[in-house]
Amino acid sequence: MTFAQAAEAHLDDVYRYLAWFTGDRAAADDLAGETFERALRLWHRFDSDRGSARTWLCQVARTVALDHFRSERRRTRREELAAEHERVEERFVEGLSPDLEHALDSLSAGEREVVALRVVLELDAGTAARVLGISATNCTTRLNRALKKLEEALHVAA
Amino acid sequence: MSQRDLTAELRAARIDAPPELRERVRLIAAADTTPAPRRVFTWRRALVVALPVAAAVAATVVFTRPAHNPPTAAPGVQRGAVLGRAVPATPLQATIAPAPSTTRVQRYGASLTLRVPTADGVSRGVKSALAITASLGGYASSVHANTKGERATADLTLKVPRAHVQEAISRLSDLGTITAEHLDVQDLQASLDATGRTIALLQRQLATLRARPQTDALGAQIAALVARIEQLQRNEAATTRAAHYATVRLHLATPVPVARTTHHGALNGLRVALVWLGIALLYVLVLGTPLLAIGAAAFLIARAVRRRREDVLLSRS
Repeated sequence: MTFAQAAEAHLDDVYRYLAWFTGDRAAADDLAGETFERALRLWHRFDSDRGSARTWLCQVARTVALDHFRSERRRTRREELAAEHERVEERFVEGLSPDLEHALDSLSAGEREVVALRVVLELDAGTAARVLGISATNCTTRLNRALKKLEEALHVAA
Repeated sequence: MSQRDLTAELRAARIDAPPELRERVRLIAAADTTPAPRRVFTWRRALVVALPVAAAVAATVVFTRPAHNPPTAAPGVQRGAVLGRAVPATPLQATIAPAPSTTRVQRYGASLTLRVPTADGVSRGVKSALAITASLGGYASSVHANTKGERATADLTLKVPRAHVQEAISRLSDLGTITAEHLDVQDLQASLDATGRTIALLQRQLATLRARPQTDALGAQIAALVARIEQLQRNEAATTRAAHYATVRLHLATPVPVARTTHHGALNGLRVALVWLGIALLYVLVLGTPLLAIGAAAFLIARAVRRRREDVLLSRS
């Protein structure tokens, strides 16, 4: 598989992952572009024996997203502005009920990330755990915790 | 809403990459000139190959170096310098004991090392040696015997009249195979002659002194001279007495089991190489384990810190 083939095949997955992870489609747009630029530079390190191209691209995307979160935190510290205010104004996912979309706001980035990997991208626990750099058990625990939190938020909203 | 419904709704809400991003990624991918990734040369793969190769090379070097094979003693040959006679590569066939002088006083010493096939042979040899010594008018001044399994040794110090020492050595040699022999003959006649002349001189001086008028000082001088003459006479007698017996040291021993050096061609080389490989791996384990433990601990700590920071970061975002 060439890089172009991998990029074409998994662009939507990477974009979805970043959109859920950041909760910001504009940021996901920029980060996806940056992800593929970085992936192109690192493509010689990709080993198909150790995982699929999708998993590898998600790992690269995660690194890019974490850098984004760090720079955002530094920026908000400097400007004393909550980045959240800029983000929550727009909907990053269409097709969700208003209650669920509101409930999603209660999740942290880490919880959104595991939901994106396990539910949206439908990765199995082992693959998602590899992207996150944690154990499969820990990954499942995080997912259950996030879904329970969503359920509770929906229950309160109802 | 159940978790099943929840996940179904989350999956149904699809987000697709916008066309602008898709175009941008296509442009990025178009810049790719590298071929499809192949198996890359990682340090793990390199170690998997390099470690066994290095160990095998080390084993080969150690195994094939010239100093590796120490010379092994052939059965029946005692190595080392032996005074009086060089040790041959084959067992000695006859003794080298010369006949003692009948006209001169000599200190005669000999040692024999004999190989005896069995432990019982050593025991019988001790008895025979004692019998031979007694039959020649001599005696044993010390006997030490040691038996352990099939291995036995015996050390005897025999005093044999000098006149019969050649016969004694000849008969003792028949108790086993000679593997080493040592002979030490020291002429004492010249020393005895010198002592005799000194005594004669002192006696003449004594006679002269006794012929003079006796005074206290002269009396003391005479007494000292007499004591000196008596001392020399005692020494002369002791030397003559000691020279009457020759000292024969006899060492009887069963053959030393020599390590078997079997060679089975290439397979034997392989076995030895594997042994050295095992030794090399053991060294690597012993020396490398603490370093590995420290490295692993550092890695785990760094990973825990990194995860903790990520958790903190993602819990706020």
